[in-house]
Amino acid sequence: MIVLPLGILWFGAVLLAILDGTRTKNALLAIGLLASALLATIWLGFDIVANGPRSMVIGGWEQGVGITLSVDTLGIIFATLSLTVLLAALVFETANRVRARVFPALVLFMGVGLTGLFFTGDVFNFYVFFEIAMISAYVLASYGETPRQFRAAFLFIVVNLLGSMLFLISIAAIYHITGRLDMAGIAAQIPLVAESPVLLIATLIFVAFSTKLGLFPFHFWLAPVYTGTRPSVAAILSGALANIGSYGLLRFGADLLPRELADGAPVLIVLGTVSIIYGAVQSVSRHSPSEVLAYSAIGQVGYIMIALAIGGEVGFFAVILYAVINGLNKGLLFLTVGLRGWLVGASFVVGAFSVAGVPPAAGFLGKISIFWAAIEDDAWSIVFLVFLGSALSFLYMFQLYQRRFWIAREDEVESSRLPQVIVTALAIGLLIVGLWPEPLLDITDHAVSGLLDSPAVGVSP
Amino acid sequence: MTLILSLAVAILFASGAYLMLKHDLVRLIVGMVLIGNAANLFIMAAALRIGDAPVYPIEDETSDPLVQAMTLTAIVISFAVSALVLALAYRVYIAHASVDMRELSLAEEEQADIDDTLDGEPEPMLDVDDSSIGESSPVGAADAGEAKTR
Repeated sequence: MIVLPLGILWFGAVLLAILDGTRTKNALLAIGLLASALLATIWLGFDIVANGPRSMVIGGWEQGVGITLSVDTLGIIFATLSLTVLLAALVFETANRVRARVFPALVLFMGVGLTGLFFTGDVFNFYVFFEIAMISAYVLASYGETPRQFRAAFLFIVVNLLGSMLFLISIAAIYHITGRLDMAGIAAQIPLVAESPVLLIATLIFVAFSTKLGLFPFHFWLAPVYTGTRPSVAAILSGALANIGSYGLLRFGADLLPRELADGAPVLIVLGTVSIIYGAVQSVSRHSPSEVLAYSAIGQVGYIMIALAIGGEVGFFAVILYAVINGLNKGLLFLTVGLRGWLVGASFVVGAFSVAGVPPAAGFLGKISIFWAAIEDDAWSIVFLVFLGSALSFLYMFQLYQRRFWIAREDEVESSRLPQVIVTALAIGLLIVGLWPEPLLDITDHAVSGLLDSPAVGVSP
Repeated sequence: MTLILSLAVAILFASGAYLMLKHDLVRLIVGMVLIGNAANLFIMAAALRIGDAPVYPIEDETSDPLVQAMTLTAIVISFAVSALVLALAYRVYIAHASVDMRELSLAEEEQADIDDTLDGEPEPMLDVDDSSIGESSPVGAADAGEAKTR
């Protein structure tokens, strides 16, 4: 059952790799495969919420010998989110005409990588899936094949490859000090090890995932890459791929290295604060939509960091909720870049409200959960900071709206209908989540209790 | 032995990091490959134990097969990424007639200036120029025709 979404994506990707993706028929096939993988993931999610985490050992090896795949609610949430964003971007690109024959296959390969790393219970396997997702992202970044996209892709590869290498080194170091690679085993061994080497490893892991997320001191690659790539790819990178960072920090920080996470909390708070302010100020001063959104992405990561630093039940709850809503926001907003028409304008407003945290858009939930976490922690400066950040994001989003949609231009051509409808569907989705948040809140609560109860992904077969 | 390996990892990583600060794209890539190899060596060093091959029947102390499997996987991955990044560097070279990082960032700045003067006006989405698609088959061209008419 666990392998169903992975299997659909994997065989689909391999099949599509040999087909010509520029043909609409093949792109539709890719959409069908991705949608069925998404449905399989959701089905698996219902089962896991009802019956608890599941795990299996690949290839019929004994427990502890083979590589384990294990899924809990946290993995399901992130897999569903990533596949949704990937699906939206793929449908969007198909409606616009796919320009490269490998595009649908690459999106599916990225789906394999992301779903795999959310579903794995083994850190080295995590790295392998991580690289599958990253390599597809490297190729996708150059999609469009103009000089600008090549530059963006090159920068993206150089920085993120360095991040991956740091992550690989930290995995080897974990193996060195614990002798284990399965997450359950590591979580059991880590408290028995002296703290200083573990702190070094935790720092390396933090740097690796922060580079993916684009947290403040590691953000410099983000703006040129997000502005240089095509809108659908930017949506994939910020809505789906960046989830690796949030999930990785939760899985490794909250699950495997909770002691080190608590030690590093002050650092996280400082970096998160700087990120929020830096991202918001830069966004206010920028003009081009993708640049505003790219800097806004840097700011949004700051909220995730602060919630992670607060930790505990409310903190992790806020991290998950914020990461999910931020992924959807960014997917929607990057797709609206380059589109014209009143439907797009309306969708952009929903996205903008969501980023600024105004009800009834879903972003309100994310913001309120961070407020709640900060109040619970008696951290009034954080409450003020979140308020300031939201006010600034309201400012820059509506500056952008004014420039993009209020000023009528003569040479303006309305975009074709289908991409507009896709963007609108995403916006309606955000509104529905904002108006009827109970399912999302329930499943997030379930994920948090799973994270805090069992120190690592359950071993029960 | 551990000392020798640590020194080797350190030297490899340092040389890689030094090369990555260079302006030349090819050196930069060589630097990335060196850092990748430093990581591979680090994995080997992480559980270094000299012993027999771990094949049944086990009699004496064996070496750890897991690190070798991991290194092999990591080598394959870094090989694939190196090939990809070299191909990309070639495309960058074709596009800019240069492998100098400074000229690339100059082009990036020019692009940023263009973006600013346009004041948020994005590139048009449906520019149907097929010049960028090298391998478009006749069928692909037919699809492009469809997009034009839509």
